[in-house]
Amino acid sequence: MSMAKLTLPSKKYRQKMTVFSAVVVAVALACIYTNFNPLGIFLEFHYVRDLLGEMTPPNYHVLSDNSSTVMAILQTLSMAFLGTLYGGVIAVIIAFLAASNTMPFRAIRLTARFALSFLRVIPILVVILIFVIAVGPSTFAGMLTLVIVTVGNFGKLFTEMIENVDNPPAEAIFSVGASRMQVIRYSIIPQILPTLIANLLFAFDVNIRAAIGLGIFGGGGIGFQLQLAKSVLHYKDVTAIVTLIIIMVIVVEKISDYLRRRILGEGKLR
Amino acid sequence: MFSFKRYRKFILPLIILLTVTEGAAVICGATFGKLFEGLYRGIAFFGNMYPPDWSAFSEMLEPALQSIVIAFLGTVFGALMSIVFALLAASNLSHPWVRAVTRFLIGLERSIPEIVILILLVAAFGLGAMPGVVALSLGCIGMLGKLLADIIEEIDPLMIESIESVGGNKLQVIVFGVLPQIIPNIISYTLFRFEINIRLSVLLGAVGAGGVGYELDYSFGMLQYHRAFTAMIIIIAMVFGTEQFSYYLRKKLKMEGALK
Repeated sequence: MSMAKLTLPSKKYRQKMTVFSAVVVAVALACIYTNFNPLGIFLEFHYVRDLLGEMTPPNYHVLSDNSSTVMAILQTLSMAFLGTLYGGVIAVIIAFLAASNTMPFRAIRLTARFALSFLRVIPILVVILIFVIAVGPSTFAGMLTLVIVTVGNFGKLFTEMIENVDNPPAEAIFSVGASRMQVIRYSIIPQILPTLIANLLFAFDVNIRAAIGLGIFGGGGIGFQLQLAKSVLHYKDVTAIVTLIIIMVIVVEKISDYLRRRILGEGKLR
Repeated sequence: MFSFKRYRKFILPLIILLTVTEGAAVICGATFGKLFEGLYRGIAFFGNMYPPDWSAFSEMLEPALQSIVIAFLGTVFGALMSIVFALLAASNLSHPWVRAVTRFLIGLERSIPEIVILILLVAAFGLGAMPGVVALSLGCIGMLGKLLADIIEEIDPLMIESIESVGGNKLQVIVFGVLPQIIPNIISYTLFRFEINIRLSVLLGAVGAGGVGYELDYSFGMLQYHRAFTAMIIIIAMVFGTEQFSYYLRKKLKMEGALK
């Protein structure tokens, strides 16, 4: 090995440095393009301080004075619940149509697959705006949006889950003369059920967060209350609502974590 | 044939599920009548939207670029912040107290939706790309910070020990012992987060970060549905394109990683 090879940086190192400097240049260009100054947040920090001054102390009277806040929390929860439930049911049905081991007809399988990947790329904003027009701004619109979003997010996962089940049980049942439906009922469903429920609990977690955002675009619920309080500049109410949102999300997460661990634990024992 | 005993254990959960569903349906005001009426109106509405307004197409390319740039900046700065948080939250590198506080902050951030952060930032800084970028970067911490911290806790401790034993300080341990082991993971998670941020930047745009999300919301508000249809097509193309791009990069990275 010559001296030059030992002292000069290796090809791999140069490659890495090229990529790294390309990213740095891209970041710099992007900052200039959007007029974004990374130090700006520190230079303009007094705005944050002013806002924090206006936001404290949180006004928890929104809970007692105004019954619509409690109702809004319930609305957000039920929106997420129904969205997860119906979205999950639809996702499972489409997943059975799209999985290669449950659907023998290629045409139907490809159609279901295409539907799932199409739903996956539609952003939530597009869906909510359409549903607000179709059923009017209400919690119902938010719920329907979550149904679509759940199908898009979890349909492909469920398809893969069905395709990855253990084959021998299905073959055993099939060999003693079971129909396709019976194979699904006695081999595939028992195998996927624990994972399915665990994933739906996770979906509920995700949907709660999404439901808060939907409120702002006409989905109702706590997000709408937040937007309302912010637009009339009641910042003390905003703080109270934000803390309520945080508590709600954390509680839901803990419950769903607990249930998930129990279900998956049981699944392992069987 | 049908044995009651076998299905007995499902009865109670089923009753609870039905009750909760019914209660939630009442709160949401969800009925099938409304659904069918809405379907009918929705289909009629698509008829109204149908020919997309192609003249608006060129005007919307710049907002789309803006959305992508916001997501890109948010991801890069968010990833940098997440690495710092992850280093502080890893049990093998930091003090237990620091770790507990950082883990708490990461968990707290994870429970605040990005859109709430953006609303607060817009209240502080006004509209524009800056609150969008900051909201997306902060949003990264909850997810990337936790994932990376878990990975750092599982790295090979021998490398750290050997650098410490020849007298390396903490910074040298991090730069030469920790980062080289986790860089492939950082890149692949960051790319994954970029996909999420692209979707979020569309949503955040409508609340005040600008970009193509704002165009869509604005067109809907102005009842210019043909224009809105164009915006939808651009958004879907953008999301699909960036997703394929990131998927391709991640796959390439994985193959390189396997060869090493």
